Amino acid sequence: MRDRSALRQAARAALSAAFLVAVVAALPAHAQDAATEPAYRAFPLIGSRLAVWAVAQLHLNFAAFILGVPIFAVIIEIIGWRTGEARYDWLSHEFVKLTFAAFSTTALLGAFLLFLFVGYYPKFWTYMTSIFFPTYWVYALLFFAETFTVYLWYYGWDWLAGPRKWIHVGLGVLSNLLGTAILVVANSWVTFMMSPAGITESGALKGSVWAAINNYTWMPLNIHRLIANIVFGGTIAAAYAAFRFLNATTDEERARYDWMGYVGNFVALSAFIVLPFAGYWLGREIYAFNQTMGITMMGGFMSWLWIIQAILIGILFLGSNYYLWLGMERIPGSERYRKYVPYMLMILAIGFMVWATPHSLIVTLDEARAIGGTHHPVLGVLGVMSAKNTAVNLMILTTFLSYVLYRRANKLPIKSWVLTGMAIQWAAFFVAAAIVVFYGVYGYFVESIVRIGFSVYQVGAVLGAIVLVMTIDIPMFRGARSTGAIRWGRIPARSQYVLILLAVTFTWLMGLMGFARSGIRQYWHVYGVMRDTSVDAVTPALGYAANVITIVTAAFFALVMFIFWLGGLSERGRAGAHGAAPVIAGGSEDAP
Amino acid sequence: MRVPVGVKVGAFALGVMGSYTYFANSIPQIESRPPEELSLEGGGVTPEQLVKAGEQIFKTKGTCEVCHKVGEKGMRAPDLAGVGARAAKRKPGLSAKQYIIESLLDPGAYLVEGYPNIMPRVDKPPIGLNRSELWAVTAFLESLGGTVDVKLDDIPKTAGAAAGGAPAELKLPGDPKAGEAVFTGKGACIACHKAGKIGASPVGPDLSQIARIQTPEYIMGKILNPAAMGTVTGYPKGVMPPMFGQSLTAKEYVDLVSFLLTLK
Repeated sequence: MRDRSALRQAARAALSAAFLVAVVAALPAHAQDAATEPAYRAFPLIGSRLAVWAVAQLHLNFAAFILGVPIFAVIIEIIGWRTGEARYDWLSHEFVKLTFAAFSTTALLGAFLLFLFVGYYPKFWTYMTSIFFPTYWVYALLFFAETFTVYLWYYGWDWLAGPRKWIHVGLGVLSNLLGTAILVVANSWVTFMMSPAGITESGALKGSVWAAINNYTWMPLNIHRLIANIVFGGTIAAAYAAFRFLNATTDEERARYDWMGYVGNFVALSAFIVLPFAGYWLGREIYAFNQTMGITMMGGFMSWLWIIQAILIGILFLGSNYYLWLGMERIPGSERYRKYVPYMLMILAIGFMVWATPHSLIVTLDEARAIGGTHHPVLGVLGVMSAKNTAVNLMILTTFLSYVLYRRANKLPIKSWVLTGMAIQWAAFFVAAAIVVFYGVYGYFVESIVRIGFSVYQVGAVLGAIVLVMTIDIPMFRGARSTGAIRWGRIPARSQYVLILLAVTFTWLMGLMGFARSGIRQYWHVYGVMRDTSVDAVTPALGYAANVITIVTAAFFALVMFIFWLGGLSERGRAGAHGAAPVIAGGSEDAP
Repeated sequence: MRVPVGVKVGAFALGVMGSYTYFANSIPQIESRPPEELSLEGGGVTPEQLVKAGEQIFKTKGTCEVCHKVGEKGMRAPDLAGVGARAAKRKPGLSAKQYIIESLLDPGAYLVEGYPNIMPRVDKPPIGLNRSELWAVTAFLESLGGTVDVKLDDIPKTAGAAAGGAPAELKLPGDPKAGEAVFTGKGACIACHKAGKIGASPVGPDLSQIARIQTPEYIMGKILNPAAMGTVTGYPKGVMPPMFGQSLTAKEYVDLVSFLLTLK
């Protein structure tokens, strides 16, 4: 029964991949036809722009999920393999199962997106093909390789157990390498649209396609998306676990999904902490490519977008920390750290408010009169980059502190150098915070070109502190005395809603940032090279964008729930697809 | 009655997204529209009109105001108050208008002390001002403390030639109503094409949304030289008559194109 199901799945995957290759292979012929075709066609009812927008966002959501989750799934599998703990192997398999169910949907949405471009934007697609045709083949072949590797990875889980586990882990690593390669190929297309390179003034390719691929924003976007995919995968997996937790009927089940949710959130949080730095690099490269584009992004009609972004990121920070604090309640011995929570909450709340402080925004005449300008006469001073960089770096430090306290909640170190180690750790925190605040204040007294460089020092101080603290923490707590096992499953139900809040907020944020990345091209398909002359050349206002993002995000979650439900159907009536689920309740003294 | 977890979670997720959407709809709603193309090549424009047009371009299509302020020291670019008078003293041998034109077309040629070389050429994409627009912006900048004496001929003939992309909207002097009459009458286009409520023939492509899906250049070319513009997939080649360039008068041709451009 299971073999036949596997065969069907594999056949479906092979068909999807073959179909994609056939479509790609047919493109040049179609592109020639397109030269005599209309520049645009109108999609019925909703228009072509909205159709492409919705399908692209849905496709990206699914793609981010299936690329992000395997990254940490294979790491968890390696942990299970090296430590011999079955629960990690089970968890890794659970994560891969989730992505597996979403694999075909991602491919189908990708094909649908391709049809929309070919059919409704033929002139644009012809142009992109004239530049990137060689990469289509690479993409299709990578997709083939990725599909079969992931299928082998998933279905070979039991077959490649025991002494052959290294082969299985190797397949997981290979899946990730292929997935990442697919991501970077697709990124070359979208980044070329933003920051075209390697072409003549008339838009023709000058030499090798590599110059077009390696444009200003390609590598920053690769890194940014790679990290964001891990965050996204973590939050979705955690939300899935939360849903299963809330539906659980036994303590064992609750414990299992509490632990799964914790790991998902831990993964998301770890990657989320470095995400703003990658975003900063991307922003800097946009400025380096074209000042006008950068200024339009930050200070033009999109300026309000960053206030919404600040609110969403503030919610993510507060939510992640709140979840950790709630989680500490199920750890005996954590009581000694509760006194720090109000102070951490205060830093996060103030940081949130500073980050969301508007400055030089477009306001109505009445609002401007009421405020006395485009920003508040007193608080407006906190709305500039110096204050915001300081706020976000302090929020990252605080979140890291939350995690450190959680990690050591039920441990008492027994090493002889504990006092020295702790002193260095606290000093690292305070020195990093002092550097961040110093450059934040100093930034008000220097020219903008100097001020921009200060953020590098701030980021460096925070990352340095994180690395130093963890370098000391890991050996210091090795072999530590336990104050009791973590009581998995004994966490308030509201904590699970926090996980769902994080998943929904991050997905919505992805939609918003996708709009920002695409919208800064304004009325250009390819910035400065190919102008959008369609009726949809207007870049819509944020309200309209938010409506679209919400509808697509809701559709994404509805589809995800349906796919997970479908995936679960095959397991009903039989005892687990991958051996028995491990008993977690009260069985662990460790947090990752 | 116990509410299922799926319903509670779904309602919670929708509530969260709804609050984000509400906030995004409660802030000022600003669209970014493609700039309109300005053409003054026919002349007959007063200096006042020119300055006014230049100020408009300065604030919109030119995106100058993003960095340059007038009467306020910018962080990224110099204050332009009084530049009309100051420009004549910047570089020896260059008059005010010559200096301003050089600054627009070759911004790195002379940098004001303390400011980085970040200004793009304004006649190149993505800004892509044409000669008329360069003329108007120069006049506006001259008006800031100086005398407006720039002529269209002062703007190099090559300037603006590389400005990429098609114009946002082509305004033809034709009469769409008269064009509709050509479509149904002398041109006999209705014999093969449908255009909104007019006609129903399936011989040629339905033109009901032709202005939405095609460029004006394509429409104009297709009428005069159908074979050169290719045939839409699914329709036989060589059916459309090639003689409209001879059979239609110039006015009828422009009227017909104007009518087709209303079909969106």
